[in-house]
Amino acid sequence: MFDLRPVLFLIGNVLCLLALAMLIPAAFDWRAGHAEWQAFVVSAGVTATCGLALVLGMRSGWRHLAIRQAYLTTALCWVVPCLFAALPFLWGAPDLGLVDALFEATSGVTGTASTVLTGLERLPPGLLLWRGLLQWLGGIGMIVMAVAVLPMLNIGGMQMFRIEVISAQDRATPRAARIGSTIVGVYVVLTVVLYLALWAAGMGRFDALVHAMTSISTGGFGTHDTSLAPFDQAGIDFILCVGMLLGGLPFLHFFYLAQGDWRRVARNQQVHWYLGLMLLGGLAITLWLINSRGFGVATAVRHGFFTVVSVMTGTGLTSIDYSGWAGMPVAILFLLTFVGGCAGSTAAGIKVFRFQFLFANAIMQVRQLLRPHAVLVPSFNGKPIAREVLGSVMGFLFVYALSFAVLAMLLALLGLDLMTSLSAAASAISNVGLGLGEVIGPGGSYAVLPDLGKLLLAAGMLLGRLEMFVLLVLVLPGFWDE
Amino acid sequence: MIDIRPVIYVNGILLLVLAGAMGVPALVDWVGHDPDWRVFVTSAFITALVGAGMMLATQRDGPPKITTRQAFLLTTAAWLLMAAFGALPFALSSLKMSYADSFFEASSGLTTTGSTVIIGLDAAPRGILLWRALLNWLGGVGIIVLAVAVLPFLGIGGMQLFKMESSDKSDKVRARTSAVAAGIVQVYAVLTLICAVLLWWAGMSFFDAVCHAMAALATGGFSTSDSSLGHWDSAAIQWILTLFMTLGGATLALFVAPWRRGGWELLRDSQTQWYLSFLVFFSALLTLWQWGVNDMEPADALRHASFNVVSIVTTTGFASTDYTQWGGFPVVVFFFLTFIGGSTGSTSGAVKVFRWEVLFGMAGVHLKRLLHPHGIFVINFNRRRISETVVDSVLGFVVMYFLSFAVFAFLLTMTGLDFVTALSGSATALGNVGPGLGDIIGPAGTFRPLPDSAKWLLSFEMILGRLELFTVIALFSRSFWRE
Repeated sequence: MFDLRPVLFLIGNVLCLLALAMLIPAAFDWRAGHAEWQAFVVSAGVTATCGLALVLGMRSGWRHLAIRQAYLTTALCWVVPCLFAALPFLWGAPDLGLVDALFEATSGVTGTASTVLTGLERLPPGLLLWRGLLQWLGGIGMIVMAVAVLPMLNIGGMQMFRIEVISAQDRATPRAARIGSTIVGVYVVLTVVLYLALWAAGMGRFDALVHAMTSISTGGFGTHDTSLAPFDQAGIDFILCVGMLLGGLPFLHFFYLAQGDWRRVARNQQVHWYLGLMLLGGLAITLWLINSRGFGVATAVRHGFFTVVSVMTGTGLTSIDYSGWAGMPVAILFLLTFVGGCAGSTAAGIKVFRFQFLFANAIMQVRQLLRPHAVLVPSFNGKPIAREVLGSVMGFLFVYALSFAVLAMLLALLGLDLMTSLSAAASAISNVGLGLGEVIGPGGSYAVLPDLGKLLLAAGMLLGRLEMFVLLVLVLPGFWDE
Repeated sequence: MIDIRPVIYVNGILLLVLAGAMGVPALVDWVGHDPDWRVFVTSAFITALVGAGMMLATQRDGPPKITTRQAFLLTTAAWLLMAAFGALPFALSSLKMSYADSFFEASSGLTTTGSTVIIGLDAAPRGILLWRALLNWLGGVGIIVLAVAVLPFLGIGGMQLFKMESSDKSDKVRARTSAVAAGIVQVYAVLTLICAVLLWWAGMSFFDAVCHAMAALATGGFSTSDSSLGHWDSAAIQWILTLFMTLGGATLALFVAPWRRGGWELLRDSQTQWYLSFLVFFSALLTLWQWGVNDMEPADALRHASFNVVSIVTTTGFASTDYTQWGGFPVVVFFFLTFIGGSTGSTSGAVKVFRWEVLFGMAGVHLKRLLHPHGIFVINFNRRRISETVVDSVLGFVVMYFLSFAVFAFLLTMTGLDFVTALSGSATALGNVGPGLGDIIGPAGTFRPLPDSAKWLLSFEMILGRLELFTVIALFSRSFWRE
């Protein structure tokens, strides 16, 4: 058994941060004269107590993280905050059971946007802000994990995105710190810009704040049951569309941009594919809306692209109720659910680069068939893709597909129909949050699902957010040995 | 530009074989005093004429030598041509089918898919029913030859693992390969015969028994009744077919001369073990569901569950009952089962068990490497190490498979199909399974109401899936046609 102290120490830190975050909605509720502020203060107290106990108790006696500790820390840093983040829902929201509260908190932290709450308009502002805040914090967590942790742990081909550091140890640390602070800075600045833009476009200040936080984090919680439909303004839709699109970009590239290295960003194949797929999907749905639904061109472009961007980046905001759509757009949305954003973004899903790797390899296979003795190596952004990387990606994809299939079957076992179980499973694992079909489609709610189904979906969200293997490796028999 | 004369020559021979096969239903119809015999004679005549023409025009001295590129072209062209000419009897027959329908039916037969556009099979002329079964059966022979003699040498989708081990002299390899292929086809024929006799003994009419035996061993799934095996609600018949579908989806090479192998090599083959355990697991699961949730009698539940699971996994496509009425869970299970497929070297389609094994191995290696970043891990198959090129090509295959599935599902929705029909239709055609899910193409429905464009798409998807994708996709690569 290895040393758990560093793991617990870091979780303690995260919990303290979470407790601080809880004070913000408390302040909002207190000012607006809602009694729910007490729920937030009590939750903050409980969380802070646990967090401080861990921090103070585990502070000394260790120096650095070994690989196993890194896995455990990463996994627990997502799972434990979900538990504590559920407290305000449990105590603050009217008649929300334990399972529902856990589901809502997990959905928030993982940026999924599946909700069991209805009547959002009547909820106290504190809870709405708390949902937005959870997604915003989850977004930062995701970027930090995707830029700094996953590439080091070799998860699912992420090793291709190791930050090149100058080999000398002392030089590396400041650069990593600079990258970290730049990325977080960009994230904060983008949120503020979105907030101001939304406010200028006519949203209320509170709504603008929540939506700015949930769009850049590709989370997708709104402040209304019907998401963006009540606002119904092209300007707002456009701003949020841009926000979600930015959230799905590799954040490391904002650092390169800040350094003036714009060529590197412009040449990035991953970004090309990401935008290209979005454009294709958006165009197809726009045309369908014009042809089959008789929409005007401007309206069709607006709703078509908004929906595609929202689903592909895994956000889950909706500008229009698409539950009546049938056939082609449904298939596009279902398939795009799996694609996701770029590596190192707040978006989840399989991610564009994995498809690129595999596609490059498949093309290579076709060439190899015709020239059996040639040595052909697939490449990405001009760099060759090593065999191990391809193996990792394929392993990832296989586990992804397997988890999707198993989750869908388990949901169906609980009595859901084909469409609901397929789309709920896909949407949980990809952290999208929107389903298809009558039950969980737009306008629907996850509240009617059986409790076990909600727990399964929450587990699926965590599994998806942690890129499968961070959790899977914990159950490997060899993990706890020695 | 490659020399296409040998390609045309071999295709001519194959068309002559097809014309010969058309003689069988002609004979049956003639004996049964059905006027449809003229249809088969006409079709046979046209087919033979074209075939002979192709042969004579490109005839040269000595046996044709086939290069790799020609083999790709030959294989794809052969399946397209056979489907095109196999469609003639349908188009000319008293059923008055359009050519799109006929082509769909013929390619569904030859690729051993088993999706049908014909309604009213029970009243259809016998010649047509026999022709459908024959197409299944011949398609089965075709795929065996392909899997043993062609795909391993082209190195498609990890099939190089199944290359015959032999000395390096190429003519020896060729002789041995054709001996193995002949052996397998014999096994296939003998099993068909046994199956037919057993079905007859269990109470089917002789004609139905022969048709179903041919469709079962080919894992094709064309039946002689609209309600498929629901028409024969006899436990014996359904269990016999379950057994023979299972055999049809197993590696047939392992049945060749079992007395020479000493002991139970079949059961020591890791692919067969996975295949059988998979079938048992899902049959048991659905039996429990049917028994516990739908209150079926345990014996009936076991029979229906195992029949339909085996039928879908081996990509046969018979149905003993409309399993889409069983509730949400079975429907989801059947959707995923569509992708599994039988063992390699069988007549079944889809991804196939051996590739799943490799994928499992790959995921396991990735998991272990996470803990031990510098460890060396290998993937084993049948207790031997798999080379990296094989792993790579399996990977390429699986990726292409799911990509094709997604692209065709998307194209199908563009023809106006609903989501479930498009998704399950694409899966069932690519895996050569047969029935889809949903109201239209479910086990109780047919593909007839689909628009013509969807039928053409599905026909090509079936051929694409049957030829293990890369045989066809290679033709679209620019470098194929250069040099």
